[in-house]
Amino acid sequence: MPVLEYSGGKIVLDDEGYLENPDDWNDKVACALAEKEGIEELTKDRLEIIRFLRDHYRKYNFFPVLNSICKNVHQPKGCTNELFMDPLTAWKVAGLPKPNAQVVGYLKGEGGVV
Amino acid sequence: MAKLPKPEELLQINYNPPPTEDWMDRPVELKQGNFCWGAKGKNLAAVEFPNARDWTPVEADWKLPKDWEGTVLEAMADRLSKYRSFKVFMDICVRCGACADKCHFFIGGGDPKNMPVLRAELMRSVYRKYFTTAGKYLGKLAGARELDLNVLKEWWYYFYQCTECRRCSVFCPYGIDTAEITLMAREFTNLLGLNTDWISGPVANCYMKGNHLGLEPHAIMNSIEGMIDDIETITGIRINPSFNRKGAEILFVTPSGDLFADPGTFTAMGYMMLFHELGIDYTWSTYASEGGNFGFFTSNEMAKRLNAKIYAEAKRLGVKYIIGGECGHMWRVLNQYMDTWNGPADFMEVPKSPITGTVFDNAASTKMIHVTEFTADLIKNNKIKLDPSRNDDLVITYHDSCNTARGMGLLEEPRYIINSVCNKFHEMPDNTIRERTFCCGSGTGLNASENMEIRMRGGYPRANAVKFVRDKHGVNMLANICAIDRATLSASMDYWVPGVRVTGVHELVANALIMTGEKERETNLRGEPLPGKGGNE
Repeated sequence: MPVLEYSGGKIVLDDEGYLENPDDWNDKVACALAEKEGIEELTKDRLEIIRFLRDHYRKYNFFPVLNSICKNVHQPKGCTNELFMDPLTAWKVAGLPKPNAQVVGYLKGEGGVV
Repeated sequence: MAKLPKPEELLQINYNPPPTEDWMDRPVELKQGNFCWGAKGKNLAAVEFPNARDWTPVEADWKLPKDWEGTVLEAMADRLSKYRSFKVFMDICVRCGACADKCHFFIGGGDPKNMPVLRAELMRSVYRKYFTTAGKYLGKLAGARELDLNVLKEWWYYFYQCTECRRCSVFCPYGIDTAEITLMAREFTNLLGLNTDWISGPVANCYMKGNHLGLEPHAIMNSIEGMIDDIETITGIRINPSFNRKGAEILFVTPSGDLFADPGTFTAMGYMMLFHELGIDYTWSTYASEGGNFGFFTSNEMAKRLNAKIYAEAKRLGVKYIIGGECGHMWRVLNQYMDTWNGPADFMEVPKSPITGTVFDNAASTKMIHVTEFTADLIKNNKIKLDPSRNDDLVITYHDSCNTARGMGLLEEPRYIINSVCNKFHEMPDNTIRERTFCCGSGTGLNASENMEIRMRGGYPRANAVKFVRDKHGVNMLANICAIDRATLSASMDYWVPGVRVTGVHELVANALIMTGEKERETNLRGEPLPGKGGNE
């Protein structure tokens, strides 16, 4: 499995770049994941989204309803795409495990959910 | 995963099979982009399916159980004796060819084994070999062949390229229902653990957590609370639905896609706004939280088990009857199978609208009515106030979902509703709607990511009809009453007919619905400006 080195140590990713163990996550890991995904800087707006995603996952064990993300962090509609290219990239930087195939299909605009 | 070709590449279709080659002599070739990945062992084990193990179709070894041929033939003998329809459909086809060009997968792909007659022949040939005298003795001369690994792989490839839409059956002079043959093929492959991950994952989720997506109770409530916030922003009205409430008059069940993903979430908001305005006594359930039934794509037994959960919850809550949301295959299961499997649901009452007093005798046994039946009755009896001009930015056409149209004859109600809540509606050509509707191309658990090529091929005939009305009438919105349609037609519209969006019917209803005490609406349910409020008229 791929290993990502960062200033505080090493973390293990799965084959698609999702963090193997969500508990390995911290601010420095987030910066390393962001760099890997081509996100220049973890600004305050980006960090708000990431913290919301982590909090939501901890509470509900699921990806949030897409349009609830920006609403909850009080940012303009479409903020996730604007700041992370797509919601799955934000999810990866948040260090969360790959959502099920139905959710991924939906987020990629392929239909997915049943 | 294979890259999805561009639309113009996909349209290079060759309808001419090799002239000299017998179809039996051509071994199956599994083309990536045209099949789904194999089921994971943990998901098969979760529902006690046979031969639970991880497997992949692209490897030569499918990790089949010992004497798998015997398992299939024994099951075939059992189903032939159990289901007279299956026996008749094996025997009576005269290969007239009326069905040949009616399948969306054949039209969009040109593979002769996607002609319904030849797809069924894949199984009939085996039936003849083992269950008819002529086939036993004359073999290939009588159109018979042995069941071997290549035949099994061919079955798997092509019976998981059939969406059981039943369009071919409309044109068959004998009324052969090819979907019933696909159902049997899936039963047999399921006995060998040859299900797909895309189907077995949702089945396991539904069995363990109550819905295909795997939403847990508090996640469902959180999702609905988010919708309630949006409704309040749009209308100024705070609604307060209940969950798992014993003693409610009505249990409401809809596909879980409506609880998570756009545009289904807007449809769900529509249901709730309507029910609030009517003041009806209903409850959601976070346990029976799935209207759909992916078990139906594995075996009749699994479909029965998942269907039973809805009725167990209705009994636990003590409701009088059930209203079901906008879903496709949910209604084929309900209308054609539920009563035999788990009915009659005598512990409930024949559905009666609390608003109009209409008694829905058509659901006298299942005790479950479709939400469009309920709403059409309200409108017919003038019980709700509507302002269709709020939908004036939309030029709408209606896609009949295969299962609600051909599986239960629900043709007029959705159209009646749409024409009551919208001013601009245009039908697609006659041979593509109502009983002759074209499938979305992604039903029966084919709505995955790894098989986008076959999905887009199968979605082409429907998309082409949408393109016709888009070009002729400026249609920009495709309405439907099916969660799989809402999810997958969005993708096929983006691919084939960019600019046309997809909606559930109750989203349109709620946009037009004048609610008691509402503020002046500025936006539609999607948060876009209404016509005359900065939007396009």
